[in-house]
Amino acid sequence: MAHDWQPDFEQLVDEHQSMVFSLAVRMTGDRGLAEEIAQDVFMEMDRNLAKIESALHACFWLRRVTMSRSADALRRRRVRGFDLWVEIEEDHGALEEGRNSPLGARLENLLATLPAPQRAVLVLRYQEDLTPEEIAATLEAPLATVKSHLQRGLKLLRAKAESQLKEYIRRA
Amino acid sequence: MPEPIDDFERELQQAFERRPAPPSLKRKIMERRRFQRADRLHHRAVFWQRLAASVLLAGALGGAITWRNAEQRRKGEAAREQVFTALRIANHALNEMNAQLAARNRNTQ
Repeated sequence: MAHDWQPDFEQLVDEHQSMVFSLAVRMTGDRGLAEEIAQDVFMEMDRNLAKIESALHACFWLRRVTMSRSADALRRRRVRGFDLWVEIEEDHGALEEGRNSPLGARLENLLATLPAPQRAVLVLRYQEDLTPEEIAATLEAPLATVKSHLQRGLKLLRAKAESQLKEYIRRA
Repeated sequence: MPEPIDDFERELQQAFERRPAPPSLKRKIMERRRFQRADRLHHRAVFWQRLAASVLLAGALGGAITWRNAEQRRKGEAAREQVFTALRIANHALNEMNAQLAARNRNTQ
């Protein structure tokens, strides 16, 4: 289908690099891997630039491909026998050490301990401010599944915050 | 209607704000893009070179086969012409001999 929108690759990188990088880093918990994912995502976009129909479509496309690439990277890491749990334990260590670090950073550390599907919906919900319907479209998942992951993820994160973060311990 | 969000969710929204990408990310992406484009162009050039070479080779081979067939046909035609000429000469010689024999028979009678 013909479309009038003329994408400017460099401008797209400028506009969306922060979104792509943030999604990847929150999904993988690894800045280096997130940077690699971000590069791969933009390279894939360059190859498919002719199929992108609008600025909105570009944003949706980038989110979908970033989430899918991040999930693939996590899967590969598990297959390769990378000990994710050790990494999470290390994150916990960092959490223990960094009790005085900003609350946001500590919430992010807690996010890294959630199962990947719940992490994905929470990141899309609270970083990208997407509705469950938009998350379902992005992840190509049933709406009911997204809503269930959102509810369980939020509950789990809240429980972890209440048991591990001093700000929430006081409140609880 | 969107569901109301509580304090915890509001804090999550603040905590999960987009992070700035590393300053080198854009440069790396643009460099990889340039490299990939050059690589793609190189591959395309190699593809067209190979295609042109194949077409040239196929043309040369086809031409050689056609020329060989034409040459064989020409040689066959020439051989046939030679056989016909030999037959015509033999025919002419036999006719002459026949005529001479007939004349001799008439003289002896």
